[in-house]
Amino acid sequence: MKTEVTASDSSSRNPPLLLLLMALGWLVAGGLLGLVASIQLHSPRFLDGCPLLTYGRVGALAETAFVYGWLANAGLALALWVLGRLAGEPLRAQNWALAGAVFWNVGVAAALVGVATGDATGFALLGLPGYVHLILFFSYSAVAVSGLLAWSGRLRQVSYASHWYAAGALFLFPWILSIAHVMLFSAPVHGVVQSIVAGWYAQCAWTLWLAPLALAVAYYVIPRATGRVLASYEFATLGFWCLIFVGGLTGGRHLLGGPVPAWIPSVAVVSSALLLFHTFVVLLNLRGGFSGAGTAVRFIAFGIAAYVLGAVVDAATCFHAVAAHTQFTFFDEAQRQLALYGAASTIFFGGIYFAVPRMTGKAWLSGGLVRAHLFLSVAGILLLAGSLAGAAAVQGRDLANSAVAFPEIVRHTRPWLVAATAAQAALLLGNISFFVNFVGTACRIMNVSEPAVFDPPRAMEAPAP
Amino acid sequence: MKSNVLFFLGLFAALLISWEGIVLGSNAQLGSLAPYYDDNQGGSFPQRMPGSAARGQLVYRDLGCAACHTQQVRRPGFGFDQARGWGDRQSVARDYIYQPWPQLGLSRVGPDLANLADRKPAPPGEDELYRALYAGSEGMPSYRFLFEERRVGSGAQGSDVALKLSGADRRAAGVEIVPAERARSLVAYLLSLRTTYDYPESFPFVPAPPEGAAAPKPAAPAAPAPPDKAGGPK
Repeated sequence: MKTEVTASDSSSRNPPLLLLLMALGWLVAGGLLGLVASIQLHSPRFLDGCPLLTYGRVGALAETAFVYGWLANAGLALALWVLGRLAGEPLRAQNWALAGAVFWNVGVAAALVGVATGDATGFALLGLPGYVHLILFFSYSAVAVSGLLAWSGRLRQVSYASHWYAAGALFLFPWILSIAHVMLFSAPVHGVVQSIVAGWYAQCAWTLWLAPLALAVAYYVIPRATGRVLASYEFATLGFWCLIFVGGLTGGRHLLGGPVPAWIPSVAVVSSALLLFHTFVVLLNLRGGFSGAGTAVRFIAFGIAAYVLGAVVDAATCFHAVAAHTQFTFFDEAQRQLALYGAASTIFFGGIYFAVPRMTGKAWLSGGLVRAHLFLSVAGILLLAGSLAGAAAVQGRDLANSAVAFPEIVRHTRPWLVAATAAQAALLLGNISFFVNFVGTACRIMNVSEPAVFDPPRAMEAPAP
Repeated sequence: MKSNVLFFLGLFAALLISWEGIVLGSNAQLGSLAPYYDDNQGGSFPQRMPGSAARGQLVYRDLGCAACHTQQVRRPGFGFDQARGWGDRQSVARDYIYQPWPQLGLSRVGPDLANLADRKPAPPGEDELYRALYAGSEGMPSYRFLFEERRVGSGAQGSDVALKLSGADRRAAGVEIVPAERARSLVAYLLSLRTTYDYPESFPFVPAPPEGAAAPKPAAPAAPAPPDKAGGPK
């Protein structure tokens, strides 16, 4: 393999690096907020005198920082990088992307201030107050312009799976957000239709925005890093269109047994099961990652495993017999963490470990910090999802027995929730080491006396043990 | 995929289908749901929330109460909602038509509140709710920032709504804890939450047992309650 660093890497690195810096800042901030929320869940007295940090708000703050701060910035950065590389020439409209990156983060910061001071919406995955939607819409579109120009101006006519997923996510999110904004804020629909719209938005944000961003990275990095072509690649098109067409129909997943017409959750059950075809194709295509070596591949392989497991669990919990035990328990939170942290975030971690040395032309500052991050992430996610699922099992059993009062349920679930707090602490520690490593590596660009390490490419990735 | 135009048209079509199907479809079905007029009671249900309760719903929403409390009772036979006394019937879409921001919620760290003011065996009173909000509990944070601590001059009469606290929370003589405006709105809202009126659609259809089979123990009234038997708000 010849050197993998292309001329377009260094000439188009500014927008992705800026987005990544913001992303990692939000990751640490969101981790701190998540830790506070996790402590409050088993010790409600923690910081309860502070109105800005009451549990209902901290949970929304942590989610907003994590999804719109970390996942969105990192996904945009990697999508731009992937599309730029596939285009074979430097990114166009870089100023648009830079301005978009700045304003997106201004919008996210304004959203956090708004939620903390009393403008929370109470919708899952849409905690953003209505007034920041406009700035987020335009700034996301500005960043997307750069990516979509790279797609349409590509040198070769063929396109690849990472193309489709990245371009799809860049194109679809502004539509989803604007629909949610019109139907929930500027001309709100009546009654429970709001919950249906919010559920639809939350599922679309995952299936049409965050999951495609993650898959774009996985489909790009796995063949590059393992040096092998993707297995059964001819199915990738079907897998893509299955996700895009069916994903949005899973919107009523959480409304099972709720005050909505029964066809809404029924459509979601069918769609979630259909979506398993997409998951199967992803697994088929990317299975090469499980035997690959290197930090980037290990992170992404873990993410793929979490993605597949999450999809299977999502489909299973749609059924009445399962939902009777899991609905309204911590299991929902376990699923969310498995998807957003276990799948999307770890794939982004892997993509960042692969991309940053190529953008900067410098190896990672510290191999020890990389290994610490890998270990803490994997251990933290397994512990987090496992302990929340354990808490959910206890909670589900206790809730079903009406003789058990709520204070007792709290006592029974406390050991599991303490374990979840430990997991959050481990994840935060790992993410701080990631942040330090990233800032140190990015600062090396300024250090002109240090010779650039271009070859061999393997050495530029995080050192593989 | 070689055609850019077809690709983006495909993406757009996919989004359009799910939006049209799920969102606009349900809006067409439920978006203009009207209140149910009951001839016998001479009024329509649900009733509008009083102004203080509507303000309270904003407090409920901005404090993120929905992070731990749902407001949706599932039908008898699915889950444990009736056994916990949260409501005799399932919540239906008509219950929410006057709520500007329905807070259905996704998590039951705490109890369901859809029918709090008519909970079995006994609904909580105003004092109890104030005390719960002020003192918190093992599973719920306290919301002291919704209350004011005031000095009462000697000989002056204390506030009617001052909390009657005991134990560690008890205050010295001459000091009283009074709910601030937001706490009063919130409690007014919580006490307005009742779904006691039985709409025709609020009982699920129960198929008749096959000939010769023993009739199953009904989990819910088998027939829709006729309006004249329906209990209005007490």
